[in-house]
Amino acid sequence: MRDDPAITDRRRMTSIRVHRLRKSFGKVLAVDDLSFTVPEGTITAFLGPNGAGKTTTLRMLLGLVRPTSGEAVLGGVPYHELDRPLERVGAVLEATSFHPGLTAATHLEAVRIAAGLPAARVARVLEQVGLEAAAHRRVGGFSLGMRQRLALATALLGEPDTLILDEPANGLDPAGMRWLRGFLRAYAHEGHTVLISTHVLAEVEQIADHVVIIAAGRLCWSGPLAGAGLEDLYLEVAG
Amino acid sequence: MIPLIRAELLKARASRTTRVLVAVTPLFCALWACLPALMPAASDAVRMANVYNMAQQAYVFTMIIGILGMCGEFRHGTITWSFLASPRRGRVVLAKLAVYGLVGLVVSALSALATLVAGAALLSSQGHPALSADVPWVLTGAVLGSTLYALLGVGLGALIRHQVGAIALACLLFMYGDAFLAWLVPDVFRWLPTGAARALGGMRLDSGGELLPAWGGGLLFAGYIAAAVLAARFITLRRDITG
Repeated sequence: MRDDPAITDRRRMTSIRVHRLRKSFGKVLAVDDLSFTVPEGTITAFLGPNGAGKTTTLRMLLGLVRPTSGEAVLGGVPYHELDRPLERVGAVLEATSFHPGLTAATHLEAVRIAAGLPAARVARVLEQVGLEAAAHRRVGGFSLGMRQRLALATALLGEPDTLILDEPANGLDPAGMRWLRGFLRAYAHEGHTVLISTHVLAEVEQIADHVVIIAAGRLCWSGPLAGAGLEDLYLEVAG
Repeated sequence: MIPLIRAELLKARASRTTRVLVAVTPLFCALWACLPALMPAASDAVRMANVYNMAQQAYVFTMIIGILGMCGEFRHGTITWSFLASPRRGRVVLAKLAVYGLVGLVVSALSALATLVAGAALLSSQGHPALSADVPWVLTGAVLGSTLYALLGVGLGALIRHQVGAIALACLLFMYGDAFLAWLVPDVFRWLPTGAARALGGMRLDSGGELLPAWGGGLLFAGYIAAAVLAARFITLRRDITG
């Protein structure tokens, strides 16, 4: 048990740093000398046109894609060196990566067991994302929005202090969007860090306090979001 | 390692395909055992060997179970969750080897039992001798062989990653490829995976080509598994997971 959650959380805080990161797939240079830092305890919007290298960058942070050079570190170390990684970082990647034959609860249970987390976490995260009623339905019959919620539930299993989200608003209806916005606000309010890639500028503008914009694998702009409209800024630097 | 093994066990148990294959395999072996029981044979011993060797037919299913267990993760993209929970990828494969080895053992044992019951019942109903001192060895060899095929399936799955491709290649290789090579160069058969597995079952070939002793066949087959797993470890397992 933690004596004082606030203090423990501060000690556990996982900063995100990308330094001179490069990745080429064959002849295609997906990420080119990219450097940025995500301030702890902020919601940072990660923006850029399609094919800018956002997903590749996030996957390098999560140890799924190997950088050609440079580094992408969480709390100073690459993902694969994190001790009990799901308790540090939660990730939402594609909405479709579930076995269609498993129920939501079984999927979560498998990840929970693999990560050595307490049994009560499955019910808790299902409740957090509002999927209790669908817990024992097969994922194959889920809508895109429900899959997004299940992905977020999976990310939250380890009670991480950092969330890395790739287009989490995909497939969410207006009510789902509002729910996600409220959820992320509350999450960041607890001092946690969020790095979120999205194309829905109006949505992210309401919650983000920091922005990283990339295009063609390179950094265009990075800094706090203050005053000027996000759409104007985005179109000016990446448009 | 233990949490990963428990997680894999849960996934294996929850998969409908695996459950269907576990149920179908013993039936398949029992049906195959009926054929030689009803056919004329050179001697009672040969007829018995032909009947109980059908327990080895479980190998196709155990191999497919192993391949599905590994490739299914790539097919459905769930490998992302597995590698996020355990970034040391080799451990995920080791956990799968442990679990699908166990599943393979259960399927193989059930299949040997079904072969024994169906074969013995039919042989005695036809008035033939149904049991001999060799039968337990033949069945034990079949169980070991089919279990090892499940492990080979996991190794091939990790190496090839593409589910349909891995199943097609494995079936072609082990159902026809080895036999074709043996037809071209008979002496080579004992060194091929199929020859090694058959040596484990104590099976003798009609063509007269000598197999390795059972322990040699087992070791050789284990070597093939190790080769597949190591190749996967150093070639495909390191690859980027992009979707």
